[in-house]
Amino acid sequence: MLPLRVENLNLYLPTGQCLVENLSFTIEPGSVLALMGPSGSGKSSILSWLTGTSDDRIRASGDVWLGDQLLSHVSTENRRFGLMLQQDYLFPHMSVGDNLHFGLRGGSRQSRKDRVRQSLVDAGLAGMEHRDPATLSGGQRARVSLVRTLLSDPQALLLDEPFSGLDTALREQIRRFTWQAAVELPVLLVTHDVADIPPEARVLTIGEPCTSVDSLTAQPI
Amino acid sequence: MHLDACVSHCAKLQIESPIVKRTVLFGLMYVLVVLFLLPIILGVMGTVLPAFGLISSIASGSGFDAVVSDPRFSSALALSLRTGVVATVLVLATTLLTLVCVHDTRLWRLLGASLAPVLAVPHAAIAVGLLFLISPSGALVRLVSPELTGLTRPPTDWVVPDAGGWSLIIGLVIKETPFLLLAAAAQLSALNVDASLRIGRTLGYSPARCWSRLILPRLYPRIRLTLLIILAFNLTVVDTALLLGPGSPPTLSVMLMALVNDPDSRAAASGGAILLAAMVVACFFIVWLLEKGIGKVAVARRRSGARGKGFGFFRFAGKGVVLGLLFTCIASLLLLLVWSFTRRWRFPDAMPSEWTIQNWTSRGDVLFQPAWTTLSIALTVMALAIGSAIIWLELERHRIAPKLDGMWFLPLLIPQVSLLFGWQAVALWCGIDGLWSTVVYTHWLYALPYVVLILAVAWRELDPLWGHAAHSLGAGYWKVLWKIRLPMLRRPLCQAAAVAVAVSVAQYLPTLLLGAGRHQTLATELVTSFGGVDRRVIAALAVLQSLLPLVAFALALLYPRWRLIRLQTRATANTTVPVAL
Repeated sequence: MLPLRVENLNLYLPTGQCLVENLSFTIEPGSVLALMGPSGSGKSSILSWLTGTSDDRIRASGDVWLGDQLLSHVSTENRRFGLMLQQDYLFPHMSVGDNLHFGLRGGSRQSRKDRVRQSLVDAGLAGMEHRDPATLSGGQRARVSLVRTLLSDPQALLLDEPFSGLDTALREQIRRFTWQAAVELPVLLVTHDVADIPPEARVLTIGEPCTSVDSLTAQPI
Repeated sequence: MHLDACVSHCAKLQIESPIVKRTVLFGLMYVLVVLFLLPIILGVMGTVLPAFGLISSIASGSGFDAVVSDPRFSSALALSLRTGVVATVLVLATTLLTLVCVHDTRLWRLLGASLAPVLAVPHAAIAVGLLFLISPSGALVRLVSPELTGLTRPPTDWVVPDAGGWSLIIGLVIKETPFLLLAAAAQLSALNVDASLRIGRTLGYSPARCWSRLILPRLYPRIRLTLLIILAFNLTVVDTALLLGPGSPPTLSVMLMALVNDPDSRAAASGGAILLAAMVVACFFIVWLLEKGIGKVAVARRRSGARGKGFGFFRFAGKGVVLGLLFTCIASLLLLLVWSFTRRWRFPDAMPSEWTIQNWTSRGDVLFQPAWTTLSIALTVMALAIGSAIIWLELERHRIAPKLDGMWFLPLLIPQVSLLFGWQAVALWCGIDGLWSTVVYTHWLYALPYVVLILAVAWRELDPLWGHAAHSLGAGYWKVLWKIRLPMLRRPLCQAAAVAVAVSVAQYLPTLLLGAGRHQTLATELVTSFGGVDRRVIAALAVLQSLLPLVAFALALLYPRWRLIRLQTRATANTTVPVAL
């Protein structure tokens, strides 16, 4: 796995207001960088910019690298960043198994089937392949969503408050599951809750009105 | 005085008695259902029975044998099938291409602003505009002549309407695509399109694949009914086919119109109308089979994990199609306006050499009497449809009436020809044909479904707590309805009213068949005069026909805003007074 590096990121709202200025950081594989800050400070905008899906009205400049590969002008679908949002966004017209198949890249029919089945077993969801996502509990849905993201073979994991929709008991369980599953990937976590952040993670706090950080490296967990 | 007080007291007691009140409300519901369904049932029976020769006073012999033995039948049937199916496929393809390629771009916002007016313009008016655009002496040829074509006279080697029915297909596509596109756009917010695209793309899928695998499978069931309505319409349309369809053979619905006007061919017309309805049902069945087949292929493709590439050309093509569609619509409408003020426009001049307002002033008899009839019918239909819809939705809110959304679609799914031939026979038998009220009733039948369906969404979503809050302040039912619910629903009410006007203004066949030729509206004048009257007067008629719904839509848009601005101005005035003091 390769480190994720952001260089000189500047983000401005359409009104001209600065969100971040000259933000640079590196996340090594297996480490977590937690992005914290008040609402509207630009945390989710950074994530959107990283995935290449930011609002075209937001002015942005800067570079994103994965190892030696510059991704700034690579399309969203070719960046290979796994994204998890606050909502799980399991596609309602597909079964649990089909949702996972959708995440998988390539492979023969049988190998794909086997990988989906094994992933479900690993996630404690054995036998749920044909279930309608609507019939799953919140925790089960969160796990399926994470497994789907991981099956797409991402090179980095971007998490936008993925635990905030879960109740307290479930949160801890899903956090553990996530950190175990993402142990080899560089992870960028956006959160409001300090409890979401693993102990070894580095924390970057986005302030107001504009954050200027020269360099920051998240260390391995 | 004493007696009056007693009567009033008793009346109050009666109306407040829950059983009496419920009975009255249930009665009201049944009256509405009967008023809506009776003409449909009678219309279908009035078509079916003569077709089997069961009403000898109207038609004798088997209508099916008579119509099938007509030498034009098989060609007319094939033409209807071809134009209807091809137009519907193109409408669906254009809609999906627009969604995939243009959604969430500047062009999408432009489209949002321009679709509603295009939708408001009646089919006949836009068909005439299209003829002015694409005919051999039309604006397109004039624009490039003689410089590029060398033509100094209109070409004679092709004609519009063409024998293949392509003019009709283009006319149907440019008019029906906005309808399906608006229906689809209204559903997108419920599908979380942005999040689905974001997730799909980060999983490695191209935007086109994200649409085809994540959004369209969920969108299609929501627009299926609209698509079926469009299919039924395209297969059976009369006014547009009369203007843009070939004459020999004509489409089946146009052929049947010729038969129904001949008393000796009444049975054949009824038989043909049944066959036309059967063709529509068969097409619905084929759509269902295709859905099943495509659904299975789609599931297999979703599971394959193939990501797909190359969206650039696809997006370019999609934008081209959308711009072409917009250009055709706007150019057709502008040409109507230009022709209505033209005195002289010789071929191949790009613009008229002389302008005049005489097309409007000298033919007032042709223009303004039908305009007044159209307006009076449309306003009455609007009031009746809005009133009926409010009654129904209030009954539904009080759990007196069930949700019967499917019922309202019935008149839109049954071909007009199949329904109105029978309805005309019944009206003749009852002696109510040709009455103004009969025409209004028929228009109401076609306007009410749209009005109910537009209002139902807003009505059901309005938080009942507003009403509860008003009741707790001592307001009665009528006061809550008048002062709280209706003002809060002003915007959808205005939209529904505009749609009712647009639907009524566009009605050609119901006015012609049930009006018995006694009520000339802009729709009937435009279609029947076409070919026989100066094209400048035809253009003026089409402009007038387009103007009525456009004004209705403009008012529907502006009135709620004007109310809001007035309210804000008053609020500002009230708050500035103490400061000034």
